Amino acid sequence: MPDITKDIQVVNSLGVHARPAAAIVQCVLRFESDVFITFNGNRVNAKSIMGLLTLAATKGSRLKISCSGPDAEAAIRAIDDLFTSKFGEE
Amino acid sequence: MDTHDLPVNRKKSIAVARLLDQMTAELDLEVLGGFQGIGRPVYTPDINRPGLALSGYLEYFANDRIQVLGNTEIHFMERLTAAQLMKRLANMFSFEIPAFVLSRRLTPQNIFLDLCNRSGVPVLRSSFSTDEVITRVILFLNEEFSPETVIHGTAVDCYGVGCLITGNPGIGKSETALELVERGHRLVADDIVSIKCVRSDRLYAEYNSIIEHHMEIRGVGIVDIKSVYGVGHVRNTKRIGLVVELEEWRKDAHYDRTGLMEEFVEILGVKVPYLRIPVRPGRNIAIIVEVAALNHRLKELGLNTAKMLNERLMNVMREGRQG
Repeated sequence: MPDITKDIQVVNSLGVHARPAAAIVQCVLRFESDVFITFNGNRVNAKSIMGLLTLAATKGSRLKISCSGPDAEAAIRAIDDLFTSKFGEE
Repeated sequence: MDTHDLPVNRKKSIAVARLLDQMTAELDLEVLGGFQGIGRPVYTPDINRPGLALSGYLEYFANDRIQVLGNTEIHFMERLTAAQLMKRLANMFSFEIPAFVLSRRLTPQNIFLDLCNRSGVPVLRSSFSTDEVITRVILFLNEEFSPETVIHGTAVDCYGVGCLITGNPGIGKSETALELVERGHRLVADDIVSIKCVRSDRLYAEYNSIIEHHMEIRGVGIVDIKSVYGVGHVRNTKRIGLVVELEEWRKDAHYDRTGLMEEFVEILGVKVPYLRIPVRPGRNIAIIVEVAALNHRLKELGLNTAKMLNERLMNVMREGRQG
């Protein structure tokens, strides 16, 4: 099973607050793969809103995304797109 | 339950400032000097009483520990001549020392304070007795240096037993916790549980200071348990007595039917009693967790009811054979 990691930067101005966290969970739930996000020594499951909120990742933070599973590649691409699109925010 | 590849955080050092920040109220601390060295690191959760170092014996001087000065040390220093004291202190200060803590609101000599100010070694003073200072500082440092990890799960204080509920996403951990809270138990943390190993044999579940007692309930959203149910239904930390893993009911899996087998799971090197509970529609998991917690308390009191029943049965059978 592929096991991929990618560094992604938070670019929206408000950072990963509740709404983006919900969008990430929504996105990741479509995939079978396990997705973890590591930031500041904390590693959380990207399928958990509460987990994502504990990261308190502000604009400019670099997050390490790691995916493992049959659709890991597609999952990481989808997450990357989501961050790049600033979750539809500014 | 796989607990072997949990990321473990362990602090390598803490700054003296942290001790001051966290313990000022508890130890009634004040800073007498050397304030510029407040960022000095402490590497070990232990203290030293530098009596022998003051007497001139510096081999095995545990300089890397917090140095506690009590009546003995302070009065010993007073008996030395200024020249002697200066020489002894200069020798001591050739080592890296994180900080001094004085007890009983003792007043050190100016020579000592001047040297601390010049070398930037913080001097803290407490109004408590020396043994009290030592006990509390060691307890605090031990806790600071405890290994920590984070588990996706839910921690609830159920009848005084800290229950850590784990299981795959969507199995119903939060819903179980919600029902336990509704039934009068206390939520420690939902979804993100910090786990700390204190004194190498105790595990504590702690809430996360960002999400506190908020809970995500699918379909409803984020709910604050403390606001909705009140302060009596939450607590910030609880020692873990029992780990309950919820899993989907599998026909072929073997579940403990007697309670005679005791399973354990190891977290941060500590063995904790462990139960696997199969989940099926219509099964009230909260009540099962409640009964598991109560049964755990009975066992802790020395009453293993399953074992007692079996022993009674075997006695009856033995008597039957004889009669």
